[in-house]
Amino acid sequence: MTSPISSNIRSLTFALAIAFLVTSIGAAYWTVLASDQLANDPFNPRLIAATNGRPRGAIVDRNGTPIATSERTDSGFARSYKDRTLAQVVGYASSKFGLSGVEAAYAESLIGQDPADPVSIWRARYLGDRSPAGQVVLGIDLKIQKAAADALGGRKGAIVALDPRTGAILASVSVPSYDANQVVDPAKQDAAFDQLNHDAGRPLLNRVSQGLYPPGSIFKVVTGAAALESGFDPTKKLRVDDPYQADKSWGDYFVRSSSHAHGLFDMSDGFRLSENIYFAQVGLQIGAAKLTDYARRFGIGSTPSLDLAAAKGQLSDSGSIERPTLLADTSYGQGELLVSPLQMALVYAAIANGGVMPTAHYATEVRDAEGHVVRQIAPGPVGQIISPATAKTLTTMLVGAVAGPGAFAFGAKIPGVDVAGKTGTAENRPGEAPHGWFVGFAPAVNPTVVVAVIVENAADGGVAAAPLGGAVMRAALGK
Amino acid sequence: MMRAEAAVPLGRARFTELSLLVWVATFAITGFVAVLATETSTFTATAVVVPVAFLALMLALHIFLVSIRFRGDQILMPIAAGLTAIGLVLVQRLASDLLLQQLSWSIIAAGAFAATIVVPRDLTALARFKWSWALLGLLLLIAPLFPVIGREINGARIWIKVGPASIEPWEAVKILLVVFFAAYLEEYREVLSHSQRRIGPFPVPPVPYLVPIVAMWVIAMLVMVFEKDMGATVLFFGIFLAMLFLATGEAFYALIGLALLIVGGIVAYQLFGHVQTRVDTWLRPFDEDLRFGTGYQLVQGLYALANGGLFGAGLGNGMPDRIPVVWSDFVFDAFAEEAGLAGALALLALYLVFLYRGMIIALRAPTMFLQLLAAGLSFIIALQTLVIVGGNLRLIPLTGITLPFVAYGGSSLVTNWMLVGLLMRVSQVSSRMRGGGPE
Repeated sequence: MTSPISSNIRSLTFALAIAFLVTSIGAAYWTVLASDQLANDPFNPRLIAATNGRPRGAIVDRNGTPIATSERTDSGFARSYKDRTLAQVVGYASSKFGLSGVEAAYAESLIGQDPADPVSIWRARYLGDRSPAGQVVLGIDLKIQKAAADALGGRKGAIVALDPRTGAILASVSVPSYDANQVVDPAKQDAAFDQLNHDAGRPLLNRVSQGLYPPGSIFKVVTGAAALESGFDPTKKLRVDDPYQADKSWGDYFVRSSSHAHGLFDMSDGFRLSENIYFAQVGLQIGAAKLTDYARRFGIGSTPSLDLAAAKGQLSDSGSIERPTLLADTSYGQGELLVSPLQMALVYAAIANGGVMPTAHYATEVRDAEGHVVRQIAPGPVGQIISPATAKTLTTMLVGAVAGPGAFAFGAKIPGVDVAGKTGTAENRPGEAPHGWFVGFAPAVNPTVVVAVIVENAADGGVAAAPLGGAVMRAALGK
Repeated sequence: MMRAEAAVPLGRARFTELSLLVWVATFAITGFVAVLATETSTFTATAVVVPVAFLALMLALHIFLVSIRFRGDQILMPIAAGLTAIGLVLVQRLASDLLLQQLSWSIIAAGAFAATIVVPRDLTALARFKWSWALLGLLLLIAPLFPVIGREINGARIWIKVGPASIEPWEAVKILLVVFFAAYLEEYREVLSHSQRRIGPFPVPPVPYLVPIVAMWVIAMLVMVFEKDMGATVLFFGIFLAMLFLATGEAFYALIGLALLIVGGIVAYQLFGHVQTRVDTWLRPFDEDLRFGTGYQLVQGLYALANGGLFGAGLGNGMPDRIPVVWSDFVFDAFAEEAGLAGALALLALYLVFLYRGMIIALRAPTMFLQLLAAGLSFIIALQTLVIVGGNLRLIPLTGITLPFVAYGGSSLVTNWMLVGLLMRVSQVSSRMRGGGPE
């Protein structure tokens, strides 16, 4: 103890003890503080294993028809997926690749530990006593889902139908799709998952909420709404002469009319005949600030609230509109705009719903094993986006766009029902056929269903998409 | 407590050791029963034979120490036994087909321990052959680089093949290093710590004594580059810096060394893929491109920790088997999942007690060589624990160092038990000098 190095030994020991203290804090961080977040990470295999030896809860449609179930096998339970057209929505619960879709978003509910039921979580964590698996009820109606899937057929694209009053998604189709049973089959999963990840058609992508496309003419309602609320007179006739440029500063840049139009247009004509030059002039008159404001109010360029993954899209590459030519192009839905089908369905849902935009959601209820409702999923509306009067005016014009003389969206007509809607033919990369859009709702008074359709690289553009929307609305209205 | 025991009439008995071994036995038996009681493990004769055989082995070591009237420390052996028992329980839990192999290694380790207690007649004599130890250490260090005997496992070329077994010569090198440095520094510490020249407040050792510092750094860097093992590099250089600090008390040397190591690390990061991968994986293991690739092991380890909570899932009730190679690289996370934060802290506490016992032995040792030797050996166990546990907890990049006594692996178990034997020998020397009973 009199040795000259004793104090060095003590200092080193002290330093190491501090390091042990830091290490202990690290252990406390991961085991306790970060525990909840990691325990619910969709890739945590424990979320799936919690149902090993016991069934994982079923996922059912709004009428109780099973979409995903657990079935007994020799070695426990295996997940069985009933509807290929819902693959991206329902997702998969793989012990190897983790969870996706509803299987991930409602992972705790499906193992009987819904966040609305803290007692079951507490019992599972501290007593190892797990509640029987719960059930997740989706807003999907398999009848409408089948109509949507049949309408799209094998064509690449997406269809989403939702209830504008609640935001509940009634049908959601994204093509190409895949067979989730292969991803959970231990014998095939490696090859299947590898193939899905390398497929150029991106079958794992839910095009409804994650697919981003230029909107084309379906965006004109946003320009229309911005104009109406800025005091623009919709009955005022504007001169349309194809090709159009505001002034010489545009150089060799022109806005083109798809029908090579020459004449006087009011807003109704603009919607019915989908006249780009009319809306380009409207946009230039109200200005970039107004258009940007309304696009943002309608949720363009922001991620919609959804219980599954959703993409953000953009108003423009920079997020704002600086050039007059970009303002003109954005006003009729081109420029640098990117939107998802779900975002456009929500824009039209706001118009259908008296200006109030609902919050979209796939699931509507979580039930326990006895069928009691544990949690209602009914997110409140996003807010009042436009006035009821503006919504009414737009609805009238959209009815004209389906049923008026020479209307582009005639294919969406339903006998005996007023349908409001709009087609879009979204220009794409040069050399590629344009995407065909239709978004609409029915009945025009007190609407109960909004449908958005996109057909990728459709030869006839929006004209090809409108009948698909009509078929889905018919199924939803029982016509 | 020690003095009170020494006053007991049966002064030659080792009661503290025996009573601590009873705790080890309690843990080993409950541990094996708990694992067997869960569905995750199949009941085999091995699962019963192994804990019984291991406890008999530890009892035999105790009886051996009593019979040769060994008068050294009584705490270290039960701690090592307890940690080895935890290791066996975890091997049964995580890789039961390796259990018999690990028991065999425990028997060899016990033999090596007994040999260390008996064979070197005079510990101080070790210092006389310091250059031989250094040469042997260097040869062992570079042995894996030679064709035929060298083996690359999991990307690290730190193994040699001897007969049927792959062994890590590095494990022996760490002890040889400590012996060499203890001897070398005892001889030269005056010169190193009383340097006349200073640059500002910083002491500058005379050039001939800078040489070993630079040489060690170069060797450490070569190990990192050619053997691709960051763990060995950190340990190798860490031991050197710690010994240098112990001998001179100049924290400045340690800081310079640390700076050199970091600079070397940064350069290596730029130049070598394997270093870059390790660091990237550490910084962002949850990134999409890493979580199913190089980050998979770490992320699975973190999931295991998260499942641990305060008191753990219970032995056999977690899913630590989802972590690849869990029995050698991630035993700490596996234990923390099933024993919780409480268990993890208890495990760390065992290492901390080991460190304190070792350092107390160092403080009491009669010569500077023995002091440096005991402190250096204790430091090895502490540093190894901190580096691998820190890697498991994502506090530092993950390295392939084993958790002493607990992780599956033969070379590490055998050398660590020899290390315990050496520490106990040092404590025996001090207690002889004071003429007391066993400590």
